[in-house]
Amino acid sequence: MTGATEALPIRPLWGGARDMFYIAIERMLPRPRSFWVFMLLALPVFFGILLRIYPPKGLPLTGFELYGIVVALFFVRNLLPLVALLFGSALIADAVDSKTLTYFLTRPISRLSIFVGEFMAYLVTVLTLTLPCVVMTYLVLCVGTPQGAGFGAMDLVQDLGACALTLFTYGGVFALLGVSLKRPLIPGLLFLFVWEGFVANFPGDAPNYTISAYARSLIRHRPSEEGLAELFSKFFGVGESVLVLGIVGVVSLALAIWIFSRREYVISS
Amino acid sequence: MTARVVFQKASRWYGPVMALNDVSFELGPGVYGLLGPNGAGKSSLLKLASGQLRPSQGKVELLGRPAFGSPDVFHSVGLCADTDAFFEDFTGLQFVSALLSLNGFDKAQAHKLAIEAIEIVDLKEAMHRKIGGYSKGMRQRIKLAQSIAHRPEVLFLDEPLTGMDPQNRKRISDLLKRLGDEGRTVLVSTHILHELEQVTRRVLLIHNGRVLAEGDLGEIRDLLDRHPRSVRIKAADPRGLARELVLLPDLVSLNLEDATGHLLAEIKKPDAFFTKVQELSAKHGVLEMWVTDENLESVFSYLVSK
Repeated sequence: MTGATEALPIRPLWGGARDMFYIAIERMLPRPRSFWVFMLLALPVFFGILLRIYPPKGLPLTGFELYGIVVALFFVRNLLPLVALLFGSALIADAVDSKTLTYFLTRPISRLSIFVGEFMAYLVTVLTLTLPCVVMTYLVLCVGTPQGAGFGAMDLVQDLGACALTLFTYGGVFALLGVSLKRPLIPGLLFLFVWEGFVANFPGDAPNYTISAYARSLIRHRPSEEGLAELFSKFFGVGESVLVLGIVGVVSLALAIWIFSRREYVISS
Repeated sequence: MTARVVFQKASRWYGPVMALNDVSFELGPGVYGLLGPNGAGKSSLLKLASGQLRPSQGKVELLGRPAFGSPDVFHSVGLCADTDAFFEDFTGLQFVSALLSLNGFDKAQAHKLAIEAIEIVDLKEAMHRKIGGYSKGMRQRIKLAQSIAHRPEVLFLDEPLTGMDPQNRKRISDLLKRLGDEGRTVLVSTHILHELEQVTRRVLLIHNGRVLAEGDLGEIRDLLDRHPRSVRIKAADPRGLARELVLLPDLVSLNLEDATGHLLAEIKKPDAFFTKVQELSAKHGVLEMWVTDENLESVFSYLVSK
């Protein structure tokens, strides 16, 4: 080993983030956690295939209506926030738990690069797992059925965009939780089931303070609801929803980066 | 001397617990041993030196910059931490290459430097295997490989010889000496005075968070030779090895642990003992050797009371 290294500046943000992304995606995507999450996300596809093979008599819903329920309730309202919690809160927490964060913190890259690389890997992973399942659900439930004829490609694109934005926003919020707390999973679940689950359906202005109310507003072909949900559920315009979700996601990420950049991590054997 | 690592009245607390207390020293080129019993503050000192922690008080500089919050210095700094942490699904080559890419090396350069480092630690045959399947000694060596692969000027090694077999201990000791001779700064913490003596005479003696002494190993060495030390050996043929070791005149006791199959030896003259184990390692399949530090603690108590 010969040759001393020269004094070099810190690596540029995007170069460091890109190399960090390659490491993070390798550690995130081909994992048992990703496999089981994919299986969960693919449930509506299996369910749809069964319906196509064995169509039940007297089903009050069309394929298109079923698809609307799946996207609005199964994906956007329930499963995607959970997926974001599992992956988003683990961005830095996993590296701390596995004690591999030291390898990243002792390289000539900024903490911003580390975080951005990890978050890019998060987005690619969750979108890779989610979007194909939404498309497959659409294909299985709508294509080739008369009720699905009115549903265009742009509607599907809008649904995919709604899913992506939901994952981005919740991902930012849970990334913030992940860098702030040592054990973010339980507080994250409480946030999802107590705050997002109930408050989004409260009467008055309470839903204004939940992510869920804005995310569900992006699905325009949601099924009509009944009872209290119909009375109390609040919906916003698409533009307003996109703006709020975008701002919540960006602000959460900025806070997460600020905390991560200043925090000391005492990692020892 | 160009000081590359500077501690100036540096202290560090973890809440109410003081890990380092008013530590000052400067390190230039060469190999330095950091010696102290468990809990003395060795790892905290290395964490401060490598910019993982801020000093609660005082100053820690690395290559003329504050060690904490100066990621640019890590172009020229390598760290082999005390944690047994890896990307378990990566192969050894992938692991070292990936970390080199974070240093800014392109794929071809990273691949080339990674292979060179892996060859140095003698892991080339296993470099395409997943780290999850590596033995303790192999994991230690791949961790060392990632720390030296980018040819750093300053190298921090926290217990780098843990779990290695005698041949690899010798190989790594020779490597450290070579790095020091090349003008790099190497700070290595270890319990194994025998190997440390092969690479350096300069030592920082640390106990209860304070650097008690900076200087020559000789005095500590003499003290240690007078105190029995415990050694644990894992071998393919422990009974055969025991039959030969029992003949050594400075062996205090030798036991075969039923639960693990390990040999537990109490020795007085580490030099003679380690040389003998090294000679016998091929014959009896010596796989790993640890020196426990209970007796080192007694030496430090003695030193502190002096």
